[in-house]
Amino acid sequence: MAHLFSILPAHPEYLDPSSGSMIIQMILAAALGIGVGVKIFWKQIRAFFTHNKAEENLSEDPTEIVDDPTALPDEKTDLK
Amino acid sequence: MPENISGSFRDPSGFMFKQDDVIYRQVNQHYQKEYDLLMGSGLYEQLTRSGTLIPHTEVSKDLAPRQDLVYKAIRPEPISFISYPYEWCFNQLKDAAILTLAIARRSLEFGMSLKDASAYNIQFHQGRPVFIDTLSFEVYQEGLPWVAYKQFCQHFLAPLALMAKTDIRLVQLLKVYIDGIPLDLTSELLPASTKLNFGLSTHIHLHARTQKKYADKEVSQQEVESKGKFTKATMLALFDSLLSAVRSLEVRTIETEWADYYQDNNYTESSFEAKRELVRSFVKQVSPKTVWDLGANTGEFSRVASDLQIPTVAFDIDPGAVQQNYGLVKKNKEKYMLPLVMDLTNPSPDLGWHNAERASMQARGPVDLVMALALIHHLAIANNVPLVNVASYFKDLGKYLVIEFVPKEDSQVKRLLASRQDIFPDYTLAGFRQAFEQFFSVLNESPVEGSRRTLFLMKRK
Repeated sequence: MAHLFSILPAHPEYLDPSSGSMIIQMILAAALGIGVGVKIFWKQIRAFFTHNKAEENLSEDPTEIVDDPTALPDEKTDLK
Repeated sequence: MPENISGSFRDPSGFMFKQDDVIYRQVNQHYQKEYDLLMGSGLYEQLTRSGTLIPHTEVSKDLAPRQDLVYKAIRPEPISFISYPYEWCFNQLKDAAILTLAIARRSLEFGMSLKDASAYNIQFHQGRPVFIDTLSFEVYQEGLPWVAYKQFCQHFLAPLALMAKTDIRLVQLLKVYIDGIPLDLTSELLPASTKLNFGLSTHIHLHARTQKKYADKEVSQQEVESKGKFTKATMLALFDSLLSAVRSLEVRTIETEWADYYQDNNYTESSFEAKRELVRSFVKQVSPKTVWDLGANTGEFSRVASDLQIPTVAFDIDPGAVQQNYGLVKKNKEKYMLPLVMDLTNPSPDLGWHNAERASMQARGPVDLVMALALIHHLAIANNVPLVNVASYFKDLGKYLVIEFVPKEDSQVKRLLASRQDIFPDYTLAGFRQAFEQFFSVLNESPVEGSRRTLFLMKRK
């Protein structure tokens, strides 16, 4: 028995997310996961060869609290 | 008596209202859980301390217009000038997109997520983009795809892609499509080469096709779940993918005709300085609270005001010039300058539901001081607007006016008249004075050294 698209949260939706937009995210899920894995892999390879942790782009995340502009960003905020 | 702000009505979580010229937000009981989590989880602190979310103070809820719905009333820090994404240069829109994704990503750390990704959630505040919709955060539920993904693609990725890959002017489509540019239209307008770009081919082209396929279809939960899992890691991967797609888009500011302008005309270095000093003395005399510089180019003279710590909006029709100005704002961390794209012969109109969601340029004024340097000939000659009509328009924009009359002997005007008939008998210094004195009193009139131009300080009658 087909049910109405009910993957939405119990709270009534503020936005109409559009079924197609939800479906494509599910389709992309696997590809995105692989993409991130590859990126992290190459970043680690690069870091290994350059020994340069300052390469972590300071301005990458604007929600980072920067009291000392020369400080390196917290690495755990990069990707969980 | 509080008055509702037209344009703030769609969100059951709350709405904006105004009392005695101060802007407030009513937070409804509907949003109690989310608001408390935002404030208690540490997310509010993280975002306000990093300068990415507009801070607010809680006020007495007795102020709120809907006492039957109210949970809290808050007063957000005021924004000096409200602007809209169709007025931003490419890099301003790009920075707003990056900020939205950064906030979406950061929210997950605190157990929350963004329920919408509208470009109207961002404003420019003290030189940088800042998120203003405090009620946009919802409790994160793992397993669900991002509900705001479509909106992000339409409000940000689509216009950015069109500006970078097709034509910079296509940002204007945001005036027609107030909830972002539809993806099927974007897909049609983008060049075929964008299908080779992973980010654009998935988030625009494939996304558009999928939307079309499932339009008006009921989709069963089994069908969705059969496609895979959507964990927190997947959500982060999605943000990362969108971030890469946005970052890969670029519009280089080529040295446009305007940037060469200052080399290419009647100015010598010293006459430039003399003009700047004159403008500075006028600005100091008026001591305005806010300034609009019309036809500001890269903001050379706007900075006379903003360097005095007066909030200044620098409007120009050329997106390249606006982007160069914005580059300077970022580089020098300027706090009082806002560059915006604006065609004064067809300025931003009232838009949206009831023509009352997005205010026209004029409705966001008037200001204390309007500057119109090296501009009048573009309106009166190039655009055939009679001087008296220009004067009448300017009087509605501000109380004081600093304006430069550029006569026919000036090389800029000669260039405009080169290929057309001179049908402007009244375009003379005397004609200019006569037109403007209908609406203004002249407080000061000085020649601009090293040129044939005249600088005026006027006050609206």
